[in-house]
Amino acid sequence: MDKALNHRESFISAHHNYLVNNMLTPGFLLGDPNSQEDFFFLADLVLPGEITPRISARLFDSGGRFLLEMGRNRIVENPGRCTHQSASGGFRILYSSGESLLEVNTQHFTNGYLTRIQGKLYDRDGRIRMEPSFDGVHVFGEAQLTLQAPYLFSGTSIGVTGPAKDPIFHVP
Amino acid sequence: MNRQYEGIWIFGDYRNYFQNRVTLQLLAKGKELAGKLETQVTVLLLGYQVHQYAMEYTAHGAHVVMVVDHPALKDYQAETYTLLVADLVDRYRPEIFLAGATSFGREFFPRLAKRLKTGLSADCVALDVDPEKRLLIQTTPAFGGALLAEVVTPNHRPQMATVHPGIFQELLHNASAIVRVLYPEVEILPDERVQLLRSRREQSRDVKLENAPVVVVGGRGVGTKDHFQMLFELAEILGGEVGATRPAIRAEWAEEERLIGQTGKSVKPKLLITVGTSGALQYTTGIRGAETIIAINRDPHAPIFQMADLGLVGEARTVLELLLRELRKRV
Amino acid sequence: MNIVVCIKQVPDVPNIRMDKERMTIIRDGVESIINPNDCVALDAALDLRGREGGGITVISMGPPQSEEALREALAYGADRAILLTDPVFAGADTLATSHVLARAIGMLDPIPDLILCGTQTIDSDTGHVGPQVAEELNLPMVSNVIEIHLEDGYLTVKRVHDGFLDTIRIKRPALLTISREMHKPRHLSLADLESAFSNQGILRMGHRELGLSPDEVGFSGSATWVQKLHRPPPKRKGEVLTGTPQFLVEEIIRRLEFLSIIDEEGDNE
Repeated sequence: MDKALNHRESFISAHHNYLVNNMLTPGFLLGDPNSQEDFFFLADLVLPGEITPRISARLFDSGGRFLLEMGRNRIVENPGRCTHQSASGGFRILYSSGESLLEVNTQHFTNGYLTRIQGKLYDRDGRIRMEPSFDGVHVFGEAQLTLQAPYLFSGTSIGVTGPAKDPIFHVP
Repeated sequence: MNRQYEGIWIFGDYRNYFQNRVTLQLLAKGKELAGKLETQVTVLLLGYQVHQYAMEYTAHGAHVVMVVDHPALKDYQAETYTLLVADLVDRYRPEIFLAGATSFGREFFPRLAKRLKTGLSADCVALDVDPEKRLLIQTTPAFGGALLAEVVTPNHRPQMATVHPGIFQELLHNASAIVRVLYPEVEILPDERVQLLRSRREQSRDVKLENAPVVVVGGRGVGTKDHFQMLFELAEILGGEVGATRPAIRAEWAEEERLIGQTGKSVKPKLLITVGTSGALQYTTGIRGAETIIAINRDPHAPIFQMADLGLVGEARTVLELLLRELRKRV
Repeated sequence: MNIVVCIKQVPDVPNIRMDKERMTIIRDGVESIINPNDCVALDAALDLRGREGGGITVISMGPPQSEEALREALAYGADRAILLTDPVFAGADTLATSHVLARAIGMLDPIPDLILCGTQTIDSDTGHVGPQVAEELNLPMVSNVIEIHLEDGYLTVKRVHDGFLDTIRIKRPALLTISREMHKPRHLSLADLESAFSNQGILRMGHRELGLSPDEVGFSGSATWVQKLHRPPPKRKGEVLTGTPQFLVEEIIRRLEFLSIIDEEGDNE
């Protein structure tokens, strides 16, 4: 009997990875950053020589109301009046109520780095796209789970110039 | 139906990672062999929260990293690993499977080979492949290293071998590497019959002696217990450890744990200085692996000189006293 | 408790001679001994029997002259000895050897509580037979044991493993490999030896008695085979120097500097 090769697969970088769906990945993207008004979440590649992750996103609340836009870890548009807080090893984004929206924390190994993200994120339709799991997050919907090359962007407008190496696939 | 066996697997023995480099050494050699066979090297990593090691293996040459990360695998356990890995081997069918000859490797790999009903050679000091027959040529020591045996596993798969640490050279750390990582679906059945109650790191003399870069060994020719003490001083100045032959231990100049040889320890230091030892086989099997051997003995025909890179014919005590005097001046 | 100790008779050879055609060691005319690590296992068994009572069976697979090793084990105090010998057992690797041993042990009456083995032999050096017998008999196993405490249905053992001192609780029946560190020199009197050689019978079993077919054992039942056996190339051509102590010490120091074990004089600013 031929047993099936039953495994999940990702890519792993020697230098820096995020933990997503219980897998390591050099970078991942939810949604489409090119859509001007839609949800997206980009955890970009961290190249050798850098040690901070690069998080960009457009986030909505559970009712589908536009909360904020982030570029390279900083809030650049903030109708939801969220706050950004530094934390040891990373940073936190809080709702105006003080409740946690997103937490990013980077663990340092001798020769590499691992970033854990925790947060419950919704898209424009109020659908859940990311939620915390034991050690990181689980993601849903349109996603590229393993970026192998960095997206490039500038300032407040996320212009995508880097090629996406992997096909977009649905995570149920 | 025999599905084709392909690929080289390396068992990721990550405990003591920064001192124990054997998995990285195997990765380098595995990569070389994979090139000759036109296939890939996969490192298999079982444990709990082992992300760091997955990344290290990525940096050191793996083509694929296969990870089973689960709380039940937090501690090494031979019976549990045997069941789990036998299942993975059955599914993925590597043609070659290598592990370091650490204490754990030497306990786990034979169990696994038996379960898979395949051949396993121990403590190899060289590996090569015959690409046409896709055979792994395993060179292992026999009779304590007095002889070398070339072993093959012609009709069983995978071809398994454990490899002595320090034989191969690891590749440099490459931070730019990005490779595939696989997370197989597995069923983990911890063996309830074995419980690890306590595990304490022990920098015991064993580990110190076997890892020391310099080893100074004394034999009967050292003469007295007082003279033997000079070896301790010498070892300290040179940043090494002291070993002894059976006669010296019988004379109570050193403890049993310092015994080097057939029934004692094998050492592979960068430098071994052997003083007052005649060179009996029971002793020399323990020092064959030393990079450089300096021997001091007053008998110019002592067999030890056939094993030495530098031999000095002289009275142990006199040479030691003078050597220490010179070295003390420089410290 | 019933303890089985696996022993192997090995050549005690200062100078190995090889049969180049058959790629084996010439064992005739060469003194044989019990593998030293197996003696340590036997010691441990005697110690345990002293604490809890019971019987010790020593078992060995080998050519007929292995009987000497078994008699020596009886002289040391083992109660019963079994020799697994048969021409078809020859040429066995550890896969085949462990199969024969496991089969024999599985047939023992009474069933053993504990199987003890040495960590490795001085001739083939693999250390595989213990773990492979455990695997075939589906027994839990701990290797490199330095201390054994008996409990009801269990053992608590200590062992040294890759720089860790582990304390492990293991359910009986179990297999342990005994670390060389547990070695206690024992002395046999001539009377002990004489008694062992004259009195006791040694049970001999071949493949038929074990219910094994010839292709499961020996060379046919092996997965590995030795295609070449040779002496390692001599890698050292050392010079042997004579002279005054000063000269000798200077040479040593030069070599230490060359190896960067010490700094060259004048470099320490």
